[in-house]
Amino acid sequence: MIGWLLAAPALAVLALAFVWPMAGLFRISLNRTTETGAMEAAVTTDSYARLVGDDFTRELVLNTLTLAASSAAIAVALALPIALLVRGASPRWRGLLALAAVAPLLVSGTARLVGWMAILGDQGMINALLTGMGISTGPLALINNWTGVRIGLVESLMPYAVLVLLAGLGRLDPKLEEAAATLGANRARTFLRVTLPLAAPALLAAWLLTLVLGISAFITPRLMGGGRVFVLATEIYDLALETVDWPGAAALAMLLLGGLLALMILRGVVAAFFPGNRAEKTP
Amino acid sequence: MKAATSMPAHPHLRLDRLKRHYAGAPAPAVASISLDLPRGALLALLGPSGCGKTTTLRMIAGLEIPDDGKILVGGRDVSRLPPHKRQMGVVFQSYALFPHMTAAGNAAFGLEMQGVARADRARRAQAALEMVGLGALAERKPRQLSGGQQQRVALARALAIEPQLLLLDEPLSALDAKLREGVRDEIRALQQRLGTTTVFVTHDQTEALAMADLVAVMNGGRIEQLAAPEEIFERPATRFVATFVGRAARLSGQLEPGGVLRCGGQALRSTATLPPGPAEAYLRPHRVRLLEAGAAPPPGHDNLLEARLTRRIYTGETIALETETAAGPVTAELQAGQDGPWRDLPTGAPLRLAFRAADLAVFPAP
Amino acid sequence: MKPSWMLRLCAAVGFAILLLPGVLVLIVSFSAGEFLTFPPPGLSFRWYAALLSNAQLMTALGTSAILAAIVATVSLLLGAPAAYAIARLEFRGRGVLAAMLAAPLLLPTLVLGLGLLLVLQPLGLAATWPGLVLGHCLVAIPFAVRIMTTAFAAVPKELEAAAWTLGATPFRAAVRITLPNAAPGAIAAAVLTFLVSFDETVISLFLVGPRLSTLPVEMFRYAERTADPLIAALAMTLIAFALLMVVLVERLIGFTRAIGRD
Repeated sequence: MIGWLLAAPALAVLALAFVWPMAGLFRISLNRTTETGAMEAAVTTDSYARLVGDDFTRELVLNTLTLAASSAAIAVALALPIALLVRGASPRWRGLLALAAVAPLLVSGTARLVGWMAILGDQGMINALLTGMGISTGPLALINNWTGVRIGLVESLMPYAVLVLLAGLGRLDPKLEEAAATLGANRARTFLRVTLPLAAPALLAAWLLTLVLGISAFITPRLMGGGRVFVLATEIYDLALETVDWPGAAALAMLLLGGLLALMILRGVVAAFFPGNRAEKTP
Repeated sequence: MKAATSMPAHPHLRLDRLKRHYAGAPAPAVASISLDLPRGALLALLGPSGCGKTTTLRMIAGLEIPDDGKILVGGRDVSRLPPHKRQMGVVFQSYALFPHMTAAGNAAFGLEMQGVARADRARRAQAALEMVGLGALAERKPRQLSGGQQQRVALARALAIEPQLLLLDEPLSALDAKLREGVRDEIRALQQRLGTTTVFVTHDQTEALAMADLVAVMNGGRIEQLAAPEEIFERPATRFVATFVGRAARLSGQLEPGGVLRCGGQALRSTATLPPGPAEAYLRPHRVRLLEAGAAPPPGHDNLLEARLTRRIYTGETIALETETAAGPVTAELQAGQDGPWRDLPTGAPLRLAFRAADLAVFPAP
Repeated sequence: MKPSWMLRLCAAVGFAILLLPGVLVLIVSFSAGEFLTFPPPGLSFRWYAALLSNAQLMTALGTSAILAAIVATVSLLLGAPAAYAIARLEFRGRGVLAAMLAAPLLLPTLVLGLGLLLVLQPLGLAATWPGLVLGHCLVAIPFAVRIMTTAFAAVPKELEAAAWTLGATPFRAAVRITLPNAAPGAIAAAVLTFLVSFDETVISLFLVGPRLSTLPVEMFRYAERTADPLIAALAMTLIAFALLMVVLVERLIGFTRAIGRD
C-alpha cells in the first residue's frame, strides 16, 4: 500500500502525460474531417476507412516494413561481431568496447545524421574517395533516398542490437566454443555449428526490438530522405502538422500502435519459447 | 552451567512456541521454538543451514515477525514491536557497516537515533570503539579497515546502544580461519565482562562449544537439544545431535532388555533405558581405548571389541585409526605424540578396542 | 579463445560505422568552406563563431538547458520514491507498478508527441513551458525510475535492517542510510534525464511554437533546410557535451548498467 503511495506522484504525472493523450488520440481518430479540412466532433470510423482503402497507405506500410525489417537485419548482423568481441574481451577492454558501442545512444540523433550527411553527401567523404580513386566520375546518390535512410537507420539501431545481444550472449558459456575447438572444429565451423545456433534466440530478440524501433523511426527517414522518402512516421507527422488533418493523423497513429502491439506480443511469445537461460542448459 | 535443567524464575529472554512459515515454503522455517535464557548468559544456536537458526535470531531482533508464539525480554512481550523499538544490538553476518560513515559515525548512529546529545554520543561511541581496541581508527571509513577491524566496529556499534540483548549472526564466518579463534575469544571475554545477554548463531560446532554457556542444537525448525556444551557433546539427546556435533561411529543392532545391544554377533553394554527393539549406538572416537591384541581391558571398560586396522589418518593434532570390527567400522582417536605404540602397525593388524557402557549413545533405529 | 582476425575485422567495421559520423562531424565543423565538403577546403573556427552569434539557436539553447534542468529535477523527485518502493518494499502489484512506470518507453515518441499535441492544443498548453515539461517528463520519469531502482537495489538491504536495530524508524533509515548510498545512482539519473530532455526531438516537434522552441528542434529544422558546417559545429558541441556526461556516468555507476534493459 505504502508502495503505491510513494509512486503516486510519478503515476499521476504519467497519467496526465500518457493515459490522457493516448485516450485523446483514440477519441480524435473517431472524429470526422470535413471537405474544407476542418475537424468535426463525431464517432465514426471514416478516417480509418479512408486510410485502409488508400493505395498510398498500403505503399507506406510496405515501405516502412521493408525499410525496418532490412535495416534491423543489417544492424543485428553488424552488431553480432561487436557483441562477440566485447564478450570475449578482457575485463579492462570489455567496459571500454561496450561503452564505445552503446555511447551513440546518448548522442543526439540529429547530430549523428549531420555526420552521415558529411559522409554520404554529393561532396561527402565516400564520393570524394570514389572520385579520388577514379572509380566514379559523377557523385553517387547516397543521400536523400532510401539508401541514405537505410544507412542512417542501421547505425542508429546498432547500439540497441548490441545491448540485446550482450544480454543474450552473456548467458552463453564460452567454454562451449572451446569445447567445440578441442573436438577439432575450426573457427568457421565452431561459429556455424555452435555459436550461431546458441545465439539464435538473442539474434531474434535483437531483430524484433530493432524492427519495432525501425518502424517508428522518424528523424532518420526525414533528414536522410530529404523529403523524398515516405514512411508511416513521416506521414503521421505531415498529417498532423502540415495538412492539419488530426483525425487522419490520429487514425494512422492508432494503426501504427496496433501493428507495434502485435509485434510486442510476438516478442513476448518468442521470449516464452526461447527463455534466456536456454543456452546455459544446453549440454 | 546447569542453566538448561534448572529453569530460572525470571529468564532475561524467553521464547515461547515461536513459529515462522514463509509464504510458499513447503515447511516452516521455524516450527516451534521455546527456550529460556538467564541474564548474562551466551546462547549459541547451532545447526546446519536451513535449520531456522537465523530466522529465530531475526525474529528476536524484530526483522521477522513470528506467525505465532511470543518473545519476552525481561518479562515484556516484544513479539510485535518493530525492530527500532527493541534496542537489540545486532552484528550481521556481512557486518552491514554504513559505508558512508566513519567507524565513529557507525558507532554513534544508534545513540543519535536515541536522541543522545552530540558531545555525549561522540564520547560514548569512542568508548565503545576503545572497548574493541579500535580507538585509534575511529575516523576511518569501513572500506579502509580490514575484515577483522570491520567486525569489531560492528560489535562496537551494537554494544554502544547498551542493548537489551546482543545478537550475533555468524559473526566469524567472514573472517580468515587464523583470525577466527582470537576474535572468538575476544567476543566471549567482552561479553562476560559486560554481562550482556547474548544469542549467537553459528553452524560451526567448535565456535558454539567454545563460546556458549548454553547450546541449542537446531534442525528442521526445532530445537533438538538445549544444554551446556559438554552435555551436548558427551550426552547427545537425539540421533541428530550425535551425528551433527562431533564425529561418531554408528553401530546398528538390536536392543535387548537391560541395555544390551546385539550388534554383529557382539553383545555391547549400554546405559540405554529404551524399550527393546532395533537401535543404533553412537561412539565418539576419543572415547575408544586402544589395546594390543589379547590385552585385558582397563577397569570400568565393560565393552571389548576385536578389531583390525584399516587406515591411519594423520591430521597433525590428532591421529585417527580406522578399524573394522564385528560390530562395524569404528574409529579411535589419539592425540599427536601418544600414538607411539601404534605408529608402525601395518594395515590389517589385530587390535582391541575398549569403551564404557556410558560411552554409547543409543537411539531407536530410524 | 582469443578472437579470430575475422571477428576482429567484422567488429572493426561495426565500430567504424558507429563512430565515423562523430569523427566526420568533428572534421567538417572546423571547415572553412560553405558546405559539408569532405575533405574541407580549409580549417577555421568561423562556424563556431557563427554558431555563437546565431540568436535563434542560442535562445533555443537557453530554453533547452533550463527545460532539461527542470525535467531532471522533477523526474528525480517523483521517480526516486517510486524507485525506492519498487526496489525495497514488498507490496501487492509491485510488478504491475514497475511495468506501468516503464510503459511510455515502449511507445514511439512520435505517437506520444502527437497525443500530447491533440490534448494540449485545445487547452492552449501547446508551445508553453508546462506542456514541454510534461512531454519531457513522460520519457524522463521512466528513465529516472529505472536507474534509481538499480541504484537502490544495489544498496544492501542489511544496511537498513542494521539501522532499524539501532533505533532508526523506517523513514529515517531510508533517508540516512539508503539514500546517501544511492547518491551516485541519483547523480547518474539526474545526468541521464537531463540528457534525455536536452536531446529530446520528436515529442518537442509537436509541442514547440514560434516563440518557444528547443535546441534539438531548431537543429532538426536547420538540418532539414541546409546542411552547412554551422550545423556540424552545433552537432560537435552536443556530441562533446554528451560524451562528457557519459564519462561522468561511467565513473559514477557504469554506463552500460545504467541504460541496460535490466
